[in-house]
Amino acid sequence: MISFKFSRARSIALKEIRHILRDPFTVALALGLPFILVIFFGYAIDFDMKDIRLTCVDFDQSRASRQLTEIFSESGYFKIGFPERPDLFLQELDQEKTAGVLIVKPDFGKTLSSPGQTAKVQLLLDGADNSKTSAILSYLPGIQRAAAARLTGLKRQEPVKLRTRFLFNPELNSRWFVVPGLATVLIGLISILLTALTVAREWENGSMELLLSTPVRPLEIIVGKILPYVALGLGGVLFVYLAARIGFRVPFHGSHALFIAACLMFIMAGLSQGLLISVVTRQQQLAMQLSMISGLLPSLLLSGFIFPIESMPVFFHYFTAILPPRWFMVIARGIFLKGAGIGELIGPLAALLVMDIVLMTAATKRFKKDLEP
Amino acid sequence: MELTVRFGDFTAVDRLSFAVERGEIFGFLGANGAGKTTAIRTLCGLLRPTHGSARVAGLGYEDGGRALKGRVGYMSQRFTLYDDLTVDENMSFAAGLRKLSPEVLARRTEELFEFIGLTAPRNTLVRHLAGGIKQELALAAAILHDPEILFLDEPTSGVSPVARIRFWKLIRNLTEKGKTVIVTTHYMDEAEQCGRIALMRSGRLIALDSPAELKERTFPEPLLELDAQGRDPDDFLNTLRRNPGVIDVQPYGSRHHVTVRSSSEEAVLSSVPAGMSLRRIPPSLEDVFLRLVEGKDR
Amino acid sequence: MNRTLNAFIKKELAQTLRDPRMRVILFVLPMVQMTLFGFAISTEIKRLKLAVFHDPGDRAARQLTERFYSADWFLRVEPEGDDPLRLVRSGRADAALVIPAEGLTRSLARREATVQLILDASNATKARVAESYVSKILATARRGPEPPGPFQLDVRVLYNPTMESSVFLVPGVMSMILCLVTIILTSMSMSKEKERGTFEMIISAPLENWEILLGKTVPFVLIGMLDTVLILLAGTLLFDVPVRGELWKLLLAAFVFVVTTVTIGILISTISKNQQQSMLGSFLFVFPATLMSGIMFPVENMPKTIIVVAYLNPLKYFVTLLRNILLKGGDPWVLWSNIGVLLLMAVATTALSFRRFHQTLN
Repeated sequence: MISFKFSRARSIALKEIRHILRDPFTVALALGLPFILVIFFGYAIDFDMKDIRLTCVDFDQSRASRQLTEIFSESGYFKIGFPERPDLFLQELDQEKTAGVLIVKPDFGKTLSSPGQTAKVQLLLDGADNSKTSAILSYLPGIQRAAAARLTGLKRQEPVKLRTRFLFNPELNSRWFVVPGLATVLIGLISILLTALTVAREWENGSMELLLSTPVRPLEIIVGKILPYVALGLGGVLFVYLAARIGFRVPFHGSHALFIAACLMFIMAGLSQGLLISVVTRQQQLAMQLSMISGLLPSLLLSGFIFPIESMPVFFHYFTAILPPRWFMVIARGIFLKGAGIGELIGPLAALLVMDIVLMTAATKRFKKDLEP
Repeated sequence: MELTVRFGDFTAVDRLSFAVERGEIFGFLGANGAGKTTAIRTLCGLLRPTHGSARVAGLGYEDGGRALKGRVGYMSQRFTLYDDLTVDENMSFAAGLRKLSPEVLARRTEELFEFIGLTAPRNTLVRHLAGGIKQELALAAAILHDPEILFLDEPTSGVSPVARIRFWKLIRNLTEKGKTVIVTTHYMDEAEQCGRIALMRSGRLIALDSPAELKERTFPEPLLELDAQGRDPDDFLNTLRRNPGVIDVQPYGSRHHVTVRSSSEEAVLSSVPAGMSLRRIPPSLEDVFLRLVEGKDR
Repeated sequence: MNRTLNAFIKKELAQTLRDPRMRVILFVLPMVQMTLFGFAISTEIKRLKLAVFHDPGDRAARQLTERFYSADWFLRVEPEGDDPLRLVRSGRADAALVIPAEGLTRSLARREATVQLILDASNATKARVAESYVSKILATARRGPEPPGPFQLDVRVLYNPTMESSVFLVPGVMSMILCLVTIILTSMSMSKEKERGTFEMIISAPLENWEILLGKTVPFVLIGMLDTVLILLAGTLLFDVPVRGELWKLLLAAFVFVVTTVTIGILISTISKNQQQSMLGSFLFVFPATLMSGIMFPVENMPKTIIVVAYLNPLKYFVTLLRNILLKGGDPWVLWSNIGVLLLMAVATTALSFRRFHQTLN
């Protein structure tokens, strides 16, 4: 029978608040950092590739070949350059100076005007950068059509015309997608870091032992320690929200109440994870390492932030289920862009709740009262 | 060798000036926060003084204190060995810091382990040693390079009384060999063992002398101790305070120390109520400390 | 060799490698992460949930639908109800294709076939790619083979013809893991000594600044190199990443990178007063570094002012080096210019550490 006295938890919480207020770094970390980083990277990240450098080796030098290069440049996606040394154009690919080489054969213009013959132009692409390459490939059909139309004066008939309607993000603004994702990653990671260090520090400087010598129970310590950071985390969320809405004009179609509730659950998960780490490691250095390792890379790479989860092998569809950011990512994007409600988000919300419970329980259990190092 | 010192650091150590003789055990006595640790750290070159200067073994701090540090050993108040390394590893590291050759390291560790009477195996993690042994090990590491002058900052804090006695035997051993030891402490019984004591309070030096001299100078008058033996001494104490022959009455644990004029000694002694005892005692350093600290207050 | 340096190396190695948890974090976890991330992440868009709405009697439409699901691009979602909009809105489908009710065949004959595609565009990139997949498949809906046009673009993808994204991403993941490990290893080392009090012992000895700083750097470079070898092995063996460049180029690039990150870590720990500040410093470095390394987003796309920051990121240079050496054999110009920049960074951070490091407690 666990006897839980809220008053004891509350006094621990108050002490923690005083610690925090006296330590400007923690406050700066929780509130300022997510804000600054969201603004910085929200501004920096743009998936729409433009001005991709292509090198054109033009052996024909005819009006047709010039028109061809113009078409590439006019699209806005490409920037056509000419090789410094025509015989060494392949080297430019090796040297990362260009993303692709366009080779126009000497008889290009002539072949074009001869009926029944197909004038071919070769494009060698640097496949090392996979996403750049696939972006280029996705632009090419449009370029091919435009080139065919302008060079031959004929307009091809498309068998089937496709009319596309883009829901939720009609302008295909990649920032609307990135910013909520960025916020998720940041808030998740910072929540972990906030608690991971504080408790480990108390183990290291011995004040935890002091605390444990009182009748305080582990659960009270945990609750008392987490509560102030929840407030801090929510503060950080507020700043990020403002940055997203005002700075990047990301729309918000869903319910604010639901969003706050989800934020609470997500922050709790991070804080509990941090607490678990600090309880397990009891040393600041190890706590930090474990937090960064379990928090940074998985959250960036496996949460669906950039790399879609559907593209992962099936194993990962299940494995990523243990990552809180993965679920909050869906929730954040759903609420902001799609106006999703509890109905659509019941799965992720439940997952977060389960994770909260599991992590808190694990942290409490692991909080051994014996004082071995 | 005479160490001439003019030394000032406003916050922690206030215009401290003193000199220490070679082969002395020189003690800094004072409460926590009196400035002892700061003084020691500055002398060792770990802190930079705000004003003033110091010379240790004839050397100053112009080169960043490097020459000086070579002749000096330092043992910090906080435990300064790595408790996640073994005994041997710690010694080896300390030797590396002082650039001692492997042969010297081997020889010195043999000597020192004998000196401190280390019985634990050398590949034990320091974390697993008892507190007293750890301190002695830290001492050994501090004198590995055989320095002439040793600075010890509260070397026996947190150590059992038996271990403390052992430790001070080691210190005396060292000075017998001609080393100079400067030590800080807040234990009166340790201070008694020093050749001279510098009494510090709030960063200031309030007295500097040998223990005997200090006691004599501070208590030229007889000192009496009142043991109430369970009865209520308040009335008697008030009488004493009103007595012009009584200079001072100080509580001392459960007893009281009364300073009287020698002319009044007899009278006061005979005025003790029945059931209590009043007798003359030699002044202790504690008395000295209380008097001088109190004196500053008034 | 300098005795003090020796002593530091032995001490740091003993302290770091003795703790079994550290050993796991340093050697096992990177391999595990390499494996996990290497298999997980790819930039290929596939398995999108597509529902095709058409009249049940339309055989041509049904055939077309099967073609959609035949590749890995789309997953079948049954067209429930008659509101494709609702289906996509609810998230049960990423895309909904609506074929005109009169039937595909008749529309094609009238040469006015219009098919509507409704996409969840919250992920703009995914939406664009989905659109291009759909239009590619739709182009095959015509009857009969396609006559060649007067103009054709013949595309060949070099270095990575199968467009395996792992070839592209794995070097990036390797660098991220290596960077993370070295930074968190070193950034707390100096501040830990200060917090524990052992710093006093160190500065009570007559040492030059460079002895202490070097003593803290060298052991971690050694550990970092060991980690590099492990990570490189894991990366190249597990993922079919080719190794077209010579080994010495790889090791040299890795060495310079490890030195750079270690010196950055030492700088962080030199200017921090305690371990918490070190953590903040490391985070401030690692997070932007991984985001701006070019692995996750194209760096060239960034606004000019921000690209300047990206150019200060050692991770970016190492990723370039790795990719170039592994995939293209290590072009000399690329090799030396990038290594040069990294060396410059290492020197600059070391100089800064020197200036900020004082052998005093105040």
